[in-house]
Amino acid sequence: MFKKILIANRGEIAIRILKACQEMGVKTVAVYSDADACSPHVQLADESVPLGNPLPSESYLNIQKIIDAGVETGAEAIHPGYGFLAENPDFAYACENSGITFIGPKPGVIKLMGNKIEAKQRMEKTGIPVIPGYHGHRQEKNFLLKQGKKIGFPLLVKAAAGGGGKGMRIVNKEEELEDAIEGAKREAKSSFGNDTLLLEKYLDKPRHIEFQILADAYGNIIHLFERECSIQRRHQKVIEETPSPIITNELREKMGKAAVSAAKAVGYTNAGTIEFMVDSSLNFYFMEMNTRLQVEHPITEVTTGVDIVKWQIRIASGEKLTLHQEKLGQRGHAIECRIYAEDPANGFLPCSGVLTKVEPPMGPNIRNDMGIETGMEVTAYYDPLLAKLIVSGENRDDAINKMVWALSNYVLLGITTNTSFLKEILTHEAFRRGDITTHFIDNHFKNWFAAKQEIPVEVLIALSVYDTMNAKFGVQKEVTVPSVSDQYSPWKHAGKWRIGD
Amino acid sequence: MINLEFNYEYNNHVYKITAERAKENDGYLITFNGVTYPVTSSEVKPGYLRIKLDDRVIKAVVAEGNKNMFVFLDGKTFNMKRVLPTSKRVEKGNGLVSPISGKVVNVKVKEGMSVKKDDVLMVIEAMKMEYLIKAPYDGVVKKIYLNVDEQIDMGMIPIKIEKTGG
Repeated sequence: MFKKILIANRGEIAIRILKACQEMGVKTVAVYSDADACSPHVQLADESVPLGNPLPSESYLNIQKIIDAGVETGAEAIHPGYGFLAENPDFAYACENSGITFIGPKPGVIKLMGNKIEAKQRMEKTGIPVIPGYHGHRQEKNFLLKQGKKIGFPLLVKAAAGGGGKGMRIVNKEEELEDAIEGAKREAKSSFGNDTLLLEKYLDKPRHIEFQILADAYGNIIHLFERECSIQRRHQKVIEETPSPIITNELREKMGKAAVSAAKAVGYTNAGTIEFMVDSSLNFYFMEMNTRLQVEHPITEVTTGVDIVKWQIRIASGEKLTLHQEKLGQRGHAIECRIYAEDPANGFLPCSGVLTKVEPPMGPNIRNDMGIETGMEVTAYYDPLLAKLIVSGENRDDAINKMVWALSNYVLLGITTNTSFLKEILTHEAFRRGDITTHFIDNHFKNWFAAKQEIPVEVLIALSVYDTMNAKFGVQKEVTVPSVSDQYSPWKHAGKWRIGD
Repeated sequence: MINLEFNYEYNNHVYKITAERAKENDGYLITFNGVTYPVTSSEVKPGYLRIKLDDRVIKAVVAEGNKNMFVFLDGKTFNMKRVLPTSKRVEKGNGLVSPISGKVVNVKVKEGMSVKKDDVLMVIEAMKMEYLIKAPYDGVVKKIYLNVDEQIDMGMIPIKIEKTGG
């Protein structure tokens, strides 16, 4: 086992990994940018190394600085978390070259799975179904137009190197295809420096269902069942649950086997996730593989009892996987809500500022994976994910009820967050029925965003009582005049802004 | 005995409330829309209020933050702003203020250029996403205040555009 591990990340995931290391008796090193000097992950670690400039490229994405920090502190391994350098093969190579173990798969595998076209071709050869489409190297516009017509509409145009919804277009009609290809190429070029596109059939009532796998260096591979991640906004997950409300035992077995053989085919090691799309007829198609720890790994942990992060560390240190597929099972139902610093009513625009009150809900079967605390400043430099709220119950209904309770008791004030919106989703009757697709938010919440929210009189009473309590006798409390810069919603006044899609 | 007047702005609407401390220590008379609500309130811990209105109990958490007031009640968060009674809402101005803090990654126009409504003027990157700033109306670019790679703060005016054609 390693004696010391460096965690090349920040926020809730750095804390999650730090705690696992501490429980295993492994010393820890945190890294931090100037913006995170007072962050909880720095406080928690045994040692910490500053990275300087808060710009991601100068800090958490800076391979040299992080490798230097590892060498300097004598770390034997680096855990990359998710995001930042987690799926960067150059980083994994750099670790190898400095004699530090990268906690994840081999660099060559990261590279292969990172290219969506190559990954799909490899999976197709292995006999795993992929979404009908064009995943080839020919990129002339006329050729792509012809391929698009062959696949049929609606159609998805995607950047091969893409992620997070960038360089992605849905094309409903043939006439829209040319514009979509040109636009996606431009966006892909500027975002990823690579304008290779792929075309895919757009599925009916698509669901995003993924399988967690664990593989050691001795050829042992298991899966830890599925996670249903269909509730998304801007192509990013918001709510995840397991088991999926539509998967049958038979389908679960089939998909699980496909996931395991996909991992086997590429010689995968460590924790990974195979993402599938499932359509209304329960056909499943390989979408991509995430060669890292997922944000939503806790729901698998609470239903299987397996600690994925600890297994990542054990596997990386050369230990054998002692979990056996036939002995694994799931108990109950788990849901995760991602708490984001964003305003759902304003196009999910990220918010920054100081969190003046943070008090997460506590209770049986409630887990809080958090990177925040009262008084902390949320900056615009990094992802707006503040915390994850995970609950489990005997069954889906029980878990939903618990999540609604937990969200209703989640005090998170000072900046706008999505907690009220999450509660709206969970209490939606279609969600209760398990009738969800990746379009759920677009389909059910268009009017919700437009509707003018009425303010209950109780809110006005509470606020005026608070202000009266805090007012000095005879002196009216000083009030601020709104200016353009802090008008509570400059976004609205700006009028013509739109999130780049 | 004191009388206080509060004006809170929520969703572009200003709510006017008068508050009075009642004779009992923890009693208040809150008047809104011509209705007076006699309440008693205790602060369980800073910001955590337990308010009694007739036989109902209102549990609320109040916090200030980023020049706004946040009230958490019944699992919902309300974000309000204190305003002066006489204050008017800020007019649209030239219509261009940054909705977010981030980094300028692309400036698509030059000073003196004519632009059409909805033309992309600038691209700002924040939190891994790109935001497009578009022209609010047809006009001429008078001044560009920010260049590529510069930091922009929320509320800053990045580009000045003079309206053409009324």
